Amino acid sequence: MAKYILTRIVKACLSIFVVVSIVIVMLFTMIPRTKVMDLDTSYRKMTGDNKTVYRLMRYDQLGYLDYVRLSDMCKSEYDDVTACMINGSTENKAVIEKYESNGYVIEYLRNGTAYGYHDYNILELVWNFWSNLIVVDNVNAVQDENNPDLERKIYIGTDYNGVPAVMGSGTTHKYLIYFDSTFPFIHQNWITFNFGISYPTKAGSLTTDVINEGQGAQVSILQTFPTGVEMESPYNQHTAKYKYTLDHLDMQKFNDNYADCTSYYESPSMVNTSYIFGIISLIIAYVVALPAGMSMARNKDQLIDKIGVVFINVVIAMPSLALIFFIRQIGANFGLPDKFPLLGFKDIRSYIVPMIILAVLSMPSLMTWMRRYMIDQSNSDYVKFARAKGLSQREIFSKHIMKNAIIPIVNGIPASVILCISGALITESAFAIPGMGKMLPDAISKMNNNMVITLTFIFAALSIFSILIGDLLMVVVDPRIQLATKKGGKKNGK
Amino acid sequence: MKDPILSVKNIEVKFKVRDRVLTAIRNISLDFEEHKVVAIVGESGSGKSVFTKTFTGMLDLNGEVTQGEIWFEGKNLCEFKTDAEWEQIRGKKIATVFQDPMTSLNPVRTIGYQISEVIIKHQGKSKAEAKKEAIELMEKVGIRDAERRYDEYPFMYSGGMRQRIVIAIALACHPKILICDEPTTALDVTIQAQIIKLIKDLAKEYDFTTIYITHDLGVVANVADNVAVMYGGQIIEYGTVEDIFYDSRHPYTWGLLSSLPQLGLKGEKLFAIRGTPPSLFNKIQGDAFAPRSNYAMKIDFLKEPPVFHVSDTHWAKTWLLDPRAPKVEKPEAIRDLHERMVELTKKGGTYGKR
Repeated sequence: MAKYILTRIVKACLSIFVVVSIVIVMLFTMIPRTKVMDLDTSYRKMTGDNKTVYRLMRYDQLGYLDYVRLSDMCKSEYDDVTACMINGSTENKAVIEKYESNGYVIEYLRNGTAYGYHDYNILELVWNFWSNLIVVDNVNAVQDENNPDLERKIYIGTDYNGVPAVMGSGTTHKYLIYFDSTFPFIHQNWITFNFGISYPTKAGSLTTDVINEGQGAQVSILQTFPTGVEMESPYNQHTAKYKYTLDHLDMQKFNDNYADCTSYYESPSMVNTSYIFGIISLIIAYVVALPAGMSMARNKDQLIDKIGVVFINVVIAMPSLALIFFIRQIGANFGLPDKFPLLGFKDIRSYIVPMIILAVLSMPSLMTWMRRYMIDQSNSDYVKFARAKGLSQREIFSKHIMKNAIIPIVNGIPASVILCISGALITESAFAIPGMGKMLPDAISKMNNNMVITLTFIFAALSIFSILIGDLLMVVVDPRIQLATKKGGKKNGK
Repeated sequence: MKDPILSVKNIEVKFKVRDRVLTAIRNISLDFEEHKVVAIVGESGSGKSVFTKTFTGMLDLNGEVTQGEIWFEGKNLCEFKTDAEWEQIRGKKIATVFQDPMTSLNPVRTIGYQISEVIIKHQGKSKAEAKKEAIELMEKVGIRDAERRYDEYPFMYSGGMRQRIVIAIALACHPKILICDEPTTALDVTIQAQIIKLIKDLAKEYDFTTIYITHDLGVVANVADNVAVMYGGQIIEYGTVEDIFYDSRHPYTWGLLSSLPQLGLKGEKLFAIRGTPPSLFNKIQGDAFAPRSNYAMKIDFLKEPPVFHVSDTHWAKTWLLDPRAPKVEKPEAIRDLHERMVELTKKGGTYGKR
């Protein structure tokens, strides 16, 4: 069993690796890189050398190429760079030649200063992504020239609330493991994913931060800072990261360099928004559709079944957009908002209609499958024998058919639950819900390559692992299924 | 005839199939004697299973008993309307063992659950008592190490063992009648013999009447006291096993016996009844077997033959028994059936256990 799970995980990781690598190569080689800069307004205003340098720095940052300034080149060769920095000196020429022979393209600014860049090839692109993906925070993570006396240690301390936490100094994050009142109550910053920065939208922030960032106005909470100052602030101190240059506001609050915090927001992030909608509508769908499918199967060809079949056909046949607008209109007649922002996150009425729509959209397939599995089972021999045993129809349904019919449904539940985070594009657009649904199309249209890669990675990983969980769940509910790596294992039976 | 435990009078069963009506059982009357083993034989589609399903109200939804009476313990089963009434009979008084043990058990419930379920339902016992009784039953039907195997699933059992479990379930409530609907067809020969012996032994111990449905005459010869031969939805000949094997009167019974592969001689073609059974959608005129019979007379095509009694225990529905009919001899192949059978056994065959 352990061996089977292990091989499945290895295979899953391999698939994720292949999928994401293909996406990386496609994005970096097939989208013209000049387009990436098109939406950057500050870039468009620039002229001359500034523009060139800015562009190369951006490309370097985004992972297209390795950009080296003259000072970088010189530093790699000489301890004393003054001679090298003079254009035309022998040292200068030697360094430039060396870089040129290493495959760098050397160009010159107007004042004659050289700079170089090296375009990454496909293998380098893929390698750079995967080798930088997982970041393990360590005591040597921060290298600050201005702070040579920084203590380097990991220790168990207490956070600003007095709750124990694993903390670090010299690490990127101040709190490596900490507890708070939000699910799942224990959090860590020790191992993080680095997907690069978002650009051109939300330029400069990490893509993971963009996805997880709350929305709406910031919320200030009365809290005590390390300096002893007590004030209302939106800072979430648990997210404190090392900040290289402190301003006086930071110094007022913090007595060390860990001053880079994310803020509390009024509204949940896009992921959480989509998840709230997804999970509740999913529960509604299962709670309604499974019993509906069951009663359709029990009363096959009778009125209930016919009504159910009509419902299924109407929902499937109708274009989902038409259905969404139709239900939205009905909701509007009952005084429910037709746009989410009208009443916003805090009003329960904002949620009702979109959730009903999402549930209705996912019900037909659940109902059809449940009905079908139930009818399949009802026609099997063991049901006839159960009847011959003298069990009543009700007992046969509840004790025999139900359990057997639910098995194939169970397999799909983890995927449905986990993939709620991918959001529902059409419904979210129709109601202007700030959810995940639009994130991927937006990222693609804005040429936000790192964001596309991040989302690809997240969706691929979640899909594959939810299938794995679904299969493991089958082992729990179906005794005939056993996990075995060997082919032709003990898998007798029907 | 003394103490009929189950008495069937003039029943007729019709099925509605795609707006057409099919008559599966045509006017059958039969008394089942207590403690006797009755075998119902006949080819596929002759109505054997449908006939016995009427005893437990197990007809498919499109089927219906349109006339007749079935008397059991002073009640006319044909008057039952609700499932609740049938549940007092089904499994409790009349139990059924089906053909395919591989699919008769729920694959995702434990063996133990499936046995004790019946005991809890019909005898109103507690879970622990039911478990104890179920384990006893499992041991009785020949499952070794029953306590451990109680919690196993059907896929962990072989075909023969599953059929034993099916039998254990059928016997869980000490039924008065056990209907065995081709209980050995899906099993291999050695297991067949064991299962037949098991049912025979249990019949003595549990004191039930057995109704066998089979098209295996070997099984019939081995287990049956009485034999009913069915054709085209009717019982066309009924008698003791000796009557049927050694003194059969109906041409269809002759054909059936002649078709026994054991009787075939090396180098000679095996006997087969020509033609196909009649379509039950149409009204059958005269003797249903007439079009396939080598002994058909004019009247066979015109008028249904009545019951002619050969002896107290033996009757047949064929015009050949009418005093006016010409004298005909049985086919040669089965004329000295007894001697030939003895001959076969002498050679070291296992007559009756096939």
